[in-house]
Amino acid sequence: MTLVRSDATPVIESRSGVPDLEALYRAHAPTVARWAAKLAGPLADVDDLVHEIFLVVRRRLPEFRGDAQVTTWLYRITERVAQESRRRDRFRRWFSRARHLEIERTMAPPHLTPVDEFERRQSSETVYRILDRLPGKYRNVLILFELEELSGEEIATLTGLKLATVWVHLHRARARFIAEMKRDSGRRT
Amino acid sequence: MKEPMARGRQTDADERTPIRDRWSARPSGDGDEALAGALLRSAAAVPPFPAKNLAEVAARLRSRERHLPRTWAWQIAVAFGLLLFGGALYAAVLHILRGPSLRALPAVVPVSMPASAPVRRPHSVVAPPPAPVLSPEPEPSSIVRAEETRAPRLAFRGATQESVATKVSLEPPPALPPSPSALAQESRLLAGALHKLRQERDPGQALAMLDEHRARFGANGALEPEANVTRIEALLRLGRHDQALGLLDGLALTTAGVGREMLVARAELRAEKGRRAAALNDFNLLLSADAPPDVVSERALYGRATCRAQMGDGAGARADLEQYLARFPTGRFAAQARAAIGK
Repeated sequence: MTLVRSDATPVIESRSGVPDLEALYRAHAPTVARWAAKLAGPLADVDDLVHEIFLVVRRRLPEFRGDAQVTTWLYRITERVAQESRRRDRFRRWFSRARHLEIERTMAPPHLTPVDEFERRQSSETVYRILDRLPGKYRNVLILFELEELSGEEIATLTGLKLATVWVHLHRARARFIAEMKRDSGRRT
Repeated sequence: MKEPMARGRQTDADERTPIRDRWSARPSGDGDEALAGALLRSAAAVPPFPAKNLAEVAARLRSRERHLPRTWAWQIAVAFGLLLFGGALYAAVLHILRGPSLRALPAVVPVSMPASAPVRRPHSVVAPPPAPVLSPEPEPSSIVRAEETRAPRLAFRGATQESVATKVSLEPPPALPPSPSALAQESRLLAGALHKLRQERDPGQALAMLDEHRARFGANGALEPEANVTRIEALLRLGRHDQALGLLDGLALTTAGVGREMLVARAELRAEKGRRAAALNDFNLLLSADAPPDVVSERALYGRATCRAQMGDGAGARADLEQYLARFPTGRFAAQARAAIGK
């Protein structure tokens, strides 16, 4: 489940000593895709995100010296690309693609769409609406802890934060999440 | 002074306490944390990224082309579209504002210069053009705009000092306050409704603005079709399916553009209300055209299978489900389809 654990997969190096992109992709693409989906939210096109992430990886691969774990390095790239994607999505909501997705999500009645799938989508939208109001550092730690089910120690490894900082961010993220959730439900009633 | 500092240190210490229990792992309950846990749990249940898609991305990467990812291409397309739309809007506004004066222009031109010879602004002109030149007898309807647009044009075209002298003594017509066009007012209302609906997630307020739009512009408003689509979306968000279906029933929908989305929504709502024959017509219409393999086709195919099954057409339903699995093997209804046909 966790990326930290998947880091155990050996990264095959090419003759030049630089990790091989193909091997990196084979070992980490599923995890990167899962992170991307969770960090960017339900409106994101995960195919494109993974593509963008690995384009960055390919470009920056020669600079990777192994000072950090591969997973930490990949996570940071994923975080940045996902953040960009969220910025784009805010803009995108106004236009046809968002319209298409939103209509699709809104309109599917439960008897044809499985109820759980429908509710999951609704809840997912609500969760990300609330998460998007949190500062990025709190938002991502909360996602990694609650959605990705990483431990504090794993989050610290992945993000490069001190463990104490992870706990502080998580405490504050939870408090903000509850506050925003109440505000959100107040607005809807 | 010491007390707040001590309290601050205490807070910091509390915040550093490790958290071991996840909200998303808690059982359902009534408290805020249980509610948050339930929400997070449902958002965490993301299906794994299909291996097929991973392979496709790998192929795109392997191609080594410097092509832009699809999202960028999409962004560029939107930017280009916006540019076109902005240009068109600007041209439309100019057309509306200048329309009367342009129509009146031929009547004005002869007064200040001969129409036969094209007159160019001489290069030697240093001083700015003289005061605005007005037609002696402007048409009442075009008075205000003529003042704004005709005079500078005439001056630009090199009106002589003499002609100015003869015209300038004329009293300018009384200025009327310009009123925003009906289209601009409609656009503002509709944009407001869309903002309420999409940005603020407030379909109730969006509906109120759409009601205001209808009250002011009636069914003949230039943007009534767009308002109607927005109204349907708002009603669906409010869970008022009957009303949404009522509106959708009144639309002559085609399989082009947003019509496809409306059509599949209507089919599903009709099926939900037990109007299966009508639903089947819509699904057939969607699937008979050259349907692209998108989410609308996916919903239509699965919806038709459901309708056929409910109407006792087992063979038809099975054929649809098999077609569904062939076209959308990792689709959102794939598991149900496989279960239904025992694969």
